[in-house]
Amino acid sequence: MTTLYFILVGVLMGNIAVGLIRILRGPTAADRMLAAELFGTVTVAIILLLAIVMEKPVYYDVALVFALLSALAVVAFVTRGWPNPEPGEQDDGRR
Amino acid sequence: MAVFDLILGLLLVVLVWKSLSVSDLFGAVISFMAFGLLMAVAWVRLEAPDIALAEAAIGSGLTGALLFSTLGRLPHSEARQPVVSRTVRNGPGYWMTTGFWWVLAILLSIAFLFSLLDLQTPGLGGLLQERLPESGVLNPVTAVLLNFRSLDTVMEIAVLLLAVVVAWSMGTVVWPVKRTLPSPLLPGFVRLLTPFFLLVSFSLLWRGSHAPGGAFPSGAVLAAAGILLLLAGKTTRICPRFMFWLRWILAVGLLVFVFAGVSLMVAGYGFLVYPEQWAGALILLIEVSAGVSIGAMLMALYIGGEPDIHSA
Repeated sequence: MTTLYFILVGVLMGNIAVGLIRILRGPTAADRMLAAELFGTVTVAIILLLAIVMEKPVYYDVALVFALLSALAVVAFVTRGWPNPEPGEQDDGRR
Repeated sequence: MAVFDLILGLLLVVLVWKSLSVSDLFGAVISFMAFGLLMAVAWVRLEAPDIALAEAAIGSGLTGALLFSTLGRLPHSEARQPVVSRTVRNGPGYWMTTGFWWVLAILLSIAFLFSLLDLQTPGLGGLLQERLPESGVLNPVTAVLLNFRSLDTVMEIAVLLLAVVVAWSMGTVVWPVKRTLPSPLLPGFVRLLTPFFLLVSFSLLWRGSHAPGGAFPSGAVLAAAGILLLLAGKTTRICPRFMFWLRWILAVGLLVFVFAGVSLMVAGYGFLVYPEQWAGALILLIEVSAGVSIGAMLMALYIGGEPDIHSA
């Protein structure tokens, strides 16, 4: 079973590496933000798997706090960071 | 597992490099947030759950919200501009400054490596485990923070309060009132999520005595709940009475801590030297007041100035 978890952690790290391309290249702000949110979700999954592999249930708490706080970042982004789009110009915010 | 650690370290270095060198502010903020997320995984790998919790709450969540709001306040053209303009980048001053910091960084790394060589291998962990029963709590980190080195924690809370005082003295800010929201989804989402934030905050506070948690992560989650309400436009009207209580809430952590210390001194024990039978209760009292205060202080720092009563 542990081998399976290790493989899953490896796949998730691959996800982060692919997401990194979106974070670094964009092109729009929303792409980058979504990639950062993907990082958040993947990180929660990795921490949960590590908690099982390392047999430390304490890390479930860390994953819980992570899952809650990643909501804050995306709400801050839509309300404050994202420039209110003009009518007719829906996409392509700041790069 | 070594491969995993290697990839993790590599990604961290790439993200730090990008958040420092990327040419626009938004990219830098996103890279910094992603860095915070992966850093927490690194702390999990280093088996430091307390730091991982703090990093998860403050490093990625609160700082991300703070930086996004800062970006939102900047004029659009300014946020687009490269951090360092091209003319500055080619000048001799730029190279001298970067050269200076590079040399300093390399020297510091060498000094760090040398200090690693004569590190005392057992450290203080064994001593701490030995004395843990005297502290009144079961979690070694809480024992250090609130018993053995409690003076440091008093100072930390004092510094945070001082930061709020300085931010308030800079001027008033318009208290955010109800405004048009980008999505009708947001109020419902926040209404659903706020109870969970409060629950997690209080559970972290309570767990602090026997498991990783405690006042700082708990306060950070509390502040996150407040900021979420603020962003969703769910604010109340403020009045002088509200401000009066807010000041007390901001100060209560430090007041309780110092009051406990001084009364112990009067009782003949010394500043913040807890008698063994009361240690657990005192730590709980201090931790609850500090957690509430830290939540209020972090939120006050996010708002960034004294709320203006006349604006509401």
